[in-house]
Amino acid sequence: MAGIGWKLQRMIDRGSLASTIGAYMTGVAVTSAPWLLTTAVLTSLRVLSRHSEGPPFTGIERIITLVYALTVVMSAPVHVVVSRYAADRMYERKLDQIAAPLWRALALTLVGAAALGAGLMAVLGVSLSVGTTGTVLTAIVAGQWLLLSVGGGMASPVVVLRAFGIGAPIGILLALSFERLLDWGTVGYLVGFSAGQLATLALLLRATARALPTAVDESARLAPAFSEYRQLALAAFAYHLAIWADKAMVWILAGARVASPYASMSALAWFSSIPVFGWIYVQVESSFYHRFRSFYDDLERGAPLERLREGAISVATQSSRIMRGAVAIQATVMAVVMLAAPGIIRAADLPASAVGSFRLAVAGADFQVLTLLEILFLYYFDLRREALAVSLTLLGGEVVFVAATHAAGWPPAIGYPVACATSALLGMYLVRSRLRTLLADTFQSQPFGRAAFAAAASER
Amino acid sequence: MSVAEARPLEPVFDENGWFQDDDEPAPRVADVCLLVEGTYPFVSGGVSSWVHDIIRGMPERTFDVLNIGSHAGAFTKPRYELPSNVLTLRCLFCRDEELPLVGHAERTELDQHIRSHRRGASQPSSSRVLNAIRRLHLDDRIDDALVADLAAGDLGVPTFLHGGASFDLLLEIGQHLAPVTSFLDLFWQFRAMHVPLLRLLSAPTPAARCYHAVSTGYAGLLGAVWGLRTGRPFAVTEHGIYTREREMELARATWIRDDEGAPDRLSAFAPTPSALRQLWARFFRKLATVAYHRASHIITLSEANRRKQINDGAPAAKIQIVPNGVALAATGPAPPPGPEPAHGPAPHGSATPSETAAAAAPLRVGFVGRVVPIKDVITFIKACDLALREMPLDVRIIGPFDEEPTYAARCRALIKMLGREDSIRFLGPMPPALIYQQIDVIVLTSYSEGQPLVILEAYAAGIPVVATDVGACREMIEGMPGPDQALGPSGLVTRVATPRDTAAALLRLASDTLLRRRLGRAGRARVTAHYQRHDMLESYRALYRTLVEAKPWQE
Repeated sequence: MAGIGWKLQRMIDRGSLASTIGAYMTGVAVTSAPWLLTTAVLTSLRVLSRHSEGPPFTGIERIITLVYALTVVMSAPVHVVVSRYAADRMYERKLDQIAAPLWRALALTLVGAAALGAGLMAVLGVSLSVGTTGTVLTAIVAGQWLLLSVGGGMASPVVVLRAFGIGAPIGILLALSFERLLDWGTVGYLVGFSAGQLATLALLLRATARALPTAVDESARLAPAFSEYRQLALAAFAYHLAIWADKAMVWILAGARVASPYASMSALAWFSSIPVFGWIYVQVESSFYHRFRSFYDDLERGAPLERLREGAISVATQSSRIMRGAVAIQATVMAVVMLAAPGIIRAADLPASAVGSFRLAVAGADFQVLTLLEILFLYYFDLRREALAVSLTLLGGEVVFVAATHAAGWPPAIGYPVACATSALLGMYLVRSRLRTLLADTFQSQPFGRAAFAAAASER
Repeated sequence: MSVAEARPLEPVFDENGWFQDDDEPAPRVADVCLLVEGTYPFVSGGVSSWVHDIIRGMPERTFDVLNIGSHAGAFTKPRYELPSNVLTLRCLFCRDEELPLVGHAERTELDQHIRSHRRGASQPSSSRVLNAIRRLHLDDRIDDALVADLAAGDLGVPTFLHGGASFDLLLEIGQHLAPVTSFLDLFWQFRAMHVPLLRLLSAPTPAARCYHAVSTGYAGLLGAVWGLRTGRPFAVTEHGIYTREREMELARATWIRDDEGAPDRLSAFAPTPSALRQLWARFFRKLATVAYHRASHIITLSEANRRKQINDGAPAAKIQIVPNGVALAATGPAPPPGPEPAHGPAPHGSATPSETAAAAAPLRVGFVGRVVPIKDVITFIKACDLALREMPLDVRIIGPFDEEPTYAARCRALIKMLGREDSIRFLGPMPPALIYQQIDVIVLTSYSEGQPLVILEAYAAGIPVVATDVGACREMIEGMPGPDQALGPSGLVTRVATPRDTAAALLRLASDTLLRRRLGRAGRARVTAHYQRHDMLESYRALYRTLVEAKPWQE
């Protein structure tokens, strides 16, 4: 979004090493900190629980992981539509139309996620106290993600980081307190963790409310955006589902014994994408957005052909540069991680035989992040169908290739990078095709007159 | 001007724009396909009256009338009763009706349609029509190959709108003709300019023994293309000079945004029009040149217009001057040999009793015509206001004012602002026989005219004319070189958009009864000698004979 983009650009433009590193660290923090902090909380609780005489944390950790997985996947369509709606209103400078739909969406999200959580708890067959807390946690996490997707763009990244930074220690402290001091048993972990997440949600809520203008257009409606952006919503759903699809396939095909270390390796492999997330965030929000916005501003302000050509070339050049940069960073990180794989596997207390699979998972994660960047570009260029195609390729590829490799008697980890590479290549092709014809597509995609509508109607 | 009252006829058009008449048997091949732009039979006025006159005057010939209109809603009821020798009336429209707001579902469907078309049309195209459009803008030569390319009909509107080749052409045009213009504006103007052209070119070609366009522009182009497609002759008649009229409209057009730093749009006759205005003007000039090139006969009304046509690229050898004509009996009783003044003091104390009685009555000044911008009724009102400051006048605006309601409202507002509601009145349309009985002087303040019928009708009634120096007006008032000039002037010529000129002419006529008499007599003599309806009809009868019998029609 524009605000953070300008700040990042200013940091980079200062030219000093410190400011440049600061910009990229901001990118890393914004993109990865919530996820890292949550992981850190879970890891801390797991480690701390091992050294106590209390009940093991692993059962609760499994519930929390499932809650996150379910919430992230199921609420992804809502988040992408709401954030796109907000971005559009910001572009149109109609900020007063954001608040009312956002609060309504938040209310619906909380209720819907609670229902989902209750369903999940029922399927897991947990106790009433765990089930109730798990249900509440599902609603809290869904609310967090919604505010992160919208408010994260409107509020300062520092405020967002502060929300997670404060929520994380509160979660740890309360979890341990409830379990040990109040002697609530395993449910104490869950209540404490949830309380920490609730604190984060409250802080995010406050930050978002402060970022929104006081004038509110109550008549603004979000529902049409769901219809308009349904392809984006589906794309987001497919992409988020793809994060878990390979694990689910391994679990279905090879059983929990293989799936558990596979999931752990995959989670570890995802850490390798943190640097490139920083790059993508900073570059897309600053240089790319600046040129993208300039191109359309020039167009609307009546710029002559030559200037628009330059703008289109600039957008294409930036996009290519960011993709090349992402590939270079990923390749470098991947090379390092590949070399360090045995050590990482040892440190993670995984069997030595998992090194090969871990390397494949790292390669797959790298391609998956590249796919994400391409989907992001396709979103920007409003190529919704193409974004959906790439997401579905990723999801379908994971299912098909994991199944195929399993059927061939190969390690299932092979299917995952193949699927991710396929979607990344498709995404790259689509983005590059668009960039080649950006000017023509921008104009020639415009409807004209009733004839166009009549033609569409006759086809119907 | 002859404004025939419309019979109560509700036109019905099928999906191709053909007029449906249940009483009419299956259409036969007409002798003449008359192509008109936005006039007959839906709009009253000089050209419509002329077309009606031509058709009625030649009952031995059959006609198809093709009217090119802006959009379907523009035409409602015909203003003229279609003569029985009109086989079909067909309408083609340059654009669709106004767009209704579409819902999200329609919009999504449209997006999908465009996407599918973009995929299909993204390859480079070798469309001949697109090549012709390119030549219209970037090549000065006009030849048969260009017309043949236009007639090829291998470019549909969707392909043009969404195809890669048409965008490449737009880039080329932008680079060469509008390098500093807003490309967004150029893009929409490019579409607005060519979509009507493509719609018209893709219309089915009606069979006819010859094609006769009553203007250049779209009508002339279509006539040229249809003539080529069918191998039948094509002729064009120009009343006003189409390209000049369009240029004047373009100079005042508010729908064209000028380049930043360009002269104010409102300085209508800015010495350097913006690139977009030039683009449109060049486009219309090229359409005219295509029609001139392809026409076997070019008919104009006056020597002045003939010179303009030659200047615009018409081959001199093809041009024939056929003035308009009026039937003298139809315009009411001819004035007596020595017409009595309707009012005003008789010179040198020679007033008759009736003149003395009329002296108290103000001069009756008439504006006869449609209340539309091109007639510059605003200048007429301002001129009358100036004259009214000097002496009383009875000013009547006679003619329809529903064609441009906004403009008519502006005229009324001006009259009200000037406080002249009692002296300047709108009377609406009236039969010609009634008009000239109650008018002493006819005034025309048009920006553009061909050969106004209203002047001829006024002459037939022995009424002097004050008219701006446009079209054939000077020729009609001062006479064509030769014996016509010997008849003396039949009115006063004024400058365009100059109320003071027109006011001075009115005051001069109001204060000089003898002058009015002399001018009225000269007008009557002039119309008798040169502007008789039967002479005009004979000229066209001969023309049609030549065209229709050019070679045997292959059924």
